[in-house]
Amino acid sequence: MATLTASPTVAPPPNRARRRQRRRVPPVLLAFLLVPIAVEAFWVFWPALQGFWLSLTNWDGVSAPGFVGLGNFGELFGDPIFRSSALNTMIWLLLFGGLSAIGGLGLALLLQREGRGVGFYRAALFTPVVFSLVATSLIWQALYQPDGLLNKVLGGLGLESWQHAWLADPDTALYAVLVPALWRQVGYVMVLYLAGLKGIDPTLFEAAKIDGAGRWQQFRFVTWPQLRSVNSVVLSVIVIDSLRSFDVVWAMTKGGPYHSSELLSTYMYSTAFQSLRLGYASALAVVIFVLAFGVIVAYLVRAFREDDS
Amino acid sequence: MKRRTFAFHAVAGTLSVLWLLPIALVLLTAIRTFDDIAGNGLGALPDSFSLDSFGEAWNAGGQSQAMLNSLLVTVPTVLLSLALAAAAAFALSRYDIPFRRAIILLMLAGNLLPPQILLVPVAKLCELLGIYDTLPALIVVQVGFGLGFYTFVLQGFMRAIPDEIQQAATIDGAGPVTIFWRIILPMTRPALAALSALAFTWVFNDLLWAITVLRTGTVMPVTPALLGLQGQYVSNWNVIAAGSVIAAIPTVAVFLRFQRHFISGLAIGAVK
Amino acid sequence: MSIGRRRFLRNVGLAGLGAVGAGPLLNACATSTSTGAVTQTGGAVTVQSNLSAPAAKTAIEALVKGFNDRKGATASVNTVASETFRTQLPSYLTSANPPDTYTWYPGSLLSGYAEKGLLLDVGDVWQTMGNYSDAFRTLSGDGRGKQIFVPTTYYWWGMFYRKSKFAEWGVTPPRNWTEFLALCKTLQGKGIAPIGLGAGGNTPWIASGWFDYLDIRINGAPFHRDLLAGRKRFDDPKVKNVFATWKEALPYFDPNGTAVAFQDATTSLLQGNTGMLLIGAFFADSAPKDILGDVDFFQFPIIDPAVPVAEEGPTDGFFASARTPRRAQVSEFFKYVATAAGQELYIENSTGTVLPTNPDAKDSGTELVTKGRKLLQDAKELTQFFNRDSSDALQPTADAALVRFIQSPNEIDSILTDWQSAAEKIWNA
Repeated sequence: MATLTASPTVAPPPNRARRRQRRRVPPVLLAFLLVPIAVEAFWVFWPALQGFWLSLTNWDGVSAPGFVGLGNFGELFGDPIFRSSALNTMIWLLLFGGLSAIGGLGLALLLQREGRGVGFYRAALFTPVVFSLVATSLIWQALYQPDGLLNKVLGGLGLESWQHAWLADPDTALYAVLVPALWRQVGYVMVLYLAGLKGIDPTLFEAAKIDGAGRWQQFRFVTWPQLRSVNSVVLSVIVIDSLRSFDVVWAMTKGGPYHSSELLSTYMYSTAFQSLRLGYASALAVVIFVLAFGVIVAYLVRAFREDDS
Repeated sequence: MKRRTFAFHAVAGTLSVLWLLPIALVLLTAIRTFDDIAGNGLGALPDSFSLDSFGEAWNAGGQSQAMLNSLLVTVPTVLLSLALAAAAAFALSRYDIPFRRAIILLMLAGNLLPPQILLVPVAKLCELLGIYDTLPALIVVQVGFGLGFYTFVLQGFMRAIPDEIQQAATIDGAGPVTIFWRIILPMTRPALAALSALAFTWVFNDLLWAITVLRTGTVMPVTPALLGLQGQYVSNWNVIAAGSVIAAIPTVAVFLRFQRHFISGLAIGAVK
Repeated sequence: MSIGRRRFLRNVGLAGLGAVGAGPLLNACATSTSTGAVTQTGGAVTVQSNLSAPAAKTAIEALVKGFNDRKGATASVNTVASETFRTQLPSYLTSANPPDTYTWYPGSLLSGYAEKGLLLDVGDVWQTMGNYSDAFRTLSGDGRGKQIFVPTTYYWWGMFYRKSKFAEWGVTPPRNWTEFLALCKTLQGKGIAPIGLGAGGNTPWIASGWFDYLDIRINGAPFHRDLLAGRKRFDDPKVKNVFATWKEALPYFDPNGTAVAFQDATTSLLQGNTGMLLIGAFFADSAPKDILGDVDFFQFPIIDPAVPVAEEGPTDGFFASARTPRRAQVSEFFKYVATAAGQELYIENSTGTVLPTNPDAKDSGTELVTKGRKLLQDAKELTQFFNRDSSDALQPTADAALVRFIQSPNEIDSILTDWQSAAEKIWNA
């Protein structure tokens, strides 16, 4: 009875599986499904369609919009700021996404067992997620100042050559902002992984231990495969958050100095609410959406298909 | 064994201290006076001690009203969105609804849109419905916007629940609602707990939707109210820091409270 | 499953086409603005205020209370964060029931809204403001004969320093550019960063003060206004000249100038790490109270004595929505805030560093304020500040260009070309 959870090595007999799929759908389920979809359709899809429409216009928020067809998109691809922010977004996606996944998983593994004080450690790591960005961004800016704590520590360790004006130097700004962003994200990913780890049947571990598996092998052959559905969630979360990462970057640098830490999301915001070019900003948003959707759908479709087999 | 526990506590403890360092600095800022910060800088060691900023944030800064607004918005939003999401996730993960994967992706797609692009259309929509500048508007907007993601996460967890349990219940004559309420939902408890904590945090700390849908200062929740403590040119950082500390209390409390559910024994393990 | 997927994709395609086809309908929803005559009801005048700093908030609340105490029309003030106000302003003005009045500043933004018929004509209020200077009158017009703005306060910009520190270093305020550079050299010899700047963090716009002043000193206010209104180009040789002069002073700038925000630059100045700061009078609001008496300023040095002296005097005040249902009450409120009594009430309750626009009103009377008032009164021309004279949309282009210049002054040609192309995108939008 230990192999109840879907294990990739034991395939259920084909006939039974097919019959399982063909259950009839009780009508009450339609209510279960349609009410949430209706809510989302009204508040998200309908405005989204309007947003897509706006990307084909030029609108300043006040006067009537003028239709420009694909003009905004044409301008987009010739815009050097768009190109650099797209590149920055890719870097961000890899670094922010990758590091928060690894960090979150590592922390979840570390703090999954119960014990004295583990609750405190978890809360400590989660606190940055809940703390208001207005205050913490201020502190991080102070930390990064030329005479701030970070440079002081580096000086104290004799690493004067590593001192920088972290947020003002175009070469370091993006990476400097990455740190507080990760600081705020890792606790959140940890929580997702904790929930997933809790869902792993402990008897699987027992069986593995009996078979003589060491810690790393347990992770590789029990934990990691069992985390598959959690991983798809975490990946989606990470892609969504990376591409929508806005608060931290905006609060720390506003995309500066001169666009060196500009992400697609900050560029879109500044175009919409500073330059007041809402049509162009909508076009940027469409690009962000297509990117995110593409990445996630590609992964999820594959994950779904794997589940089928 | 003791050595391993010691190493564990050393590593976990150091990490926690590092993680809490910026928060501690916020606390330090909150107990300084404005003149101290103006004269010595934000990064300097405190030269003063005063708890006035907490009082100022609470009263003059309007934190008390803002906290109430935040709670009035967050609690219904979390309950409503998780209820709807769980229902949708249940239908999508436990039954063979046609195009269910497309539907899941579609709902998730709603979350892939940068929210900034939806701000203006949503504001106009709220005006059309006559709920602009009211808290219920913020509630429904937040619910709508979060649904896709919560559904996606919950269906991921629900999918992992073995089929046999449900089959057994169906054979016993249970209808879908009973299965949902009595079997699947309790087994998804860790995911629900985790999502509740996260949802509470997000809705509580939200800024963009609040400033889009609300206009009057007295209905603003905590995060825009904190922003409102910043002046056009000059800001009282000590008051803002104190306000942030106050604002963080509910969310940390919620997390601590829900943490226990991650560790409660799972029914999955009890299938034996 | 492939059939299902094909059908799904086809449905998505159809939905997409439908969305585009439904364009005009969507258009109407998101971008609609109500039109038509507004029935006049009564009620309290709503004042949407961005004055969120504690002192300014107290001041405007006192002003409104003073208005309400007259037992005539009533008003109520609603304060939101400055940044929130700015991003939501188009939303406020185009909503179905907009707030009646708004705090803001005059400039191209307001003229733009006036052109679209969103602002109330306050000519009747100006009838009672006969003692106001012509400069204010022109500033408050929409360029086509209507008055749309009521100025209530303004302030000045200057080179602020600490008297005690200057005495300690044995230097005195300079009167022209040559003396200014000599002063910087002396200070640098003493190991102090002569010129402070707070153009880092969230306040890169501080650098625009330097650009503005150098431009009005070298090229004069009319050229500056034309440039900021899009009638001249940023790659004009006259503009390049501004940067050539700026380069003379660059070696004396605080090397951390673009890394710290304005409030931290203030701290640096007060601690004696930097010598002077080109900043607006709101600087005094960020200083600890006990040091305030030690703060003084001098006029931005004259570079070309042939150019008529211009100063930056950003003006703040109120405007109203054209679709307010309380026109008579709004008028009454505006008449009140334009009186000397109203402005004195405001200044009393604020930090006292602003000047009243009504020439008959008294200011807070401190040495600093009196000196500032005289500075502005003696000026032949008044400009407002970069974002007010041009537009809030153009300000980020200036921030990018100027910070880049300060960090890499030799790239000036490409900086100006980029600035011009970024500005064109804004003007052509």
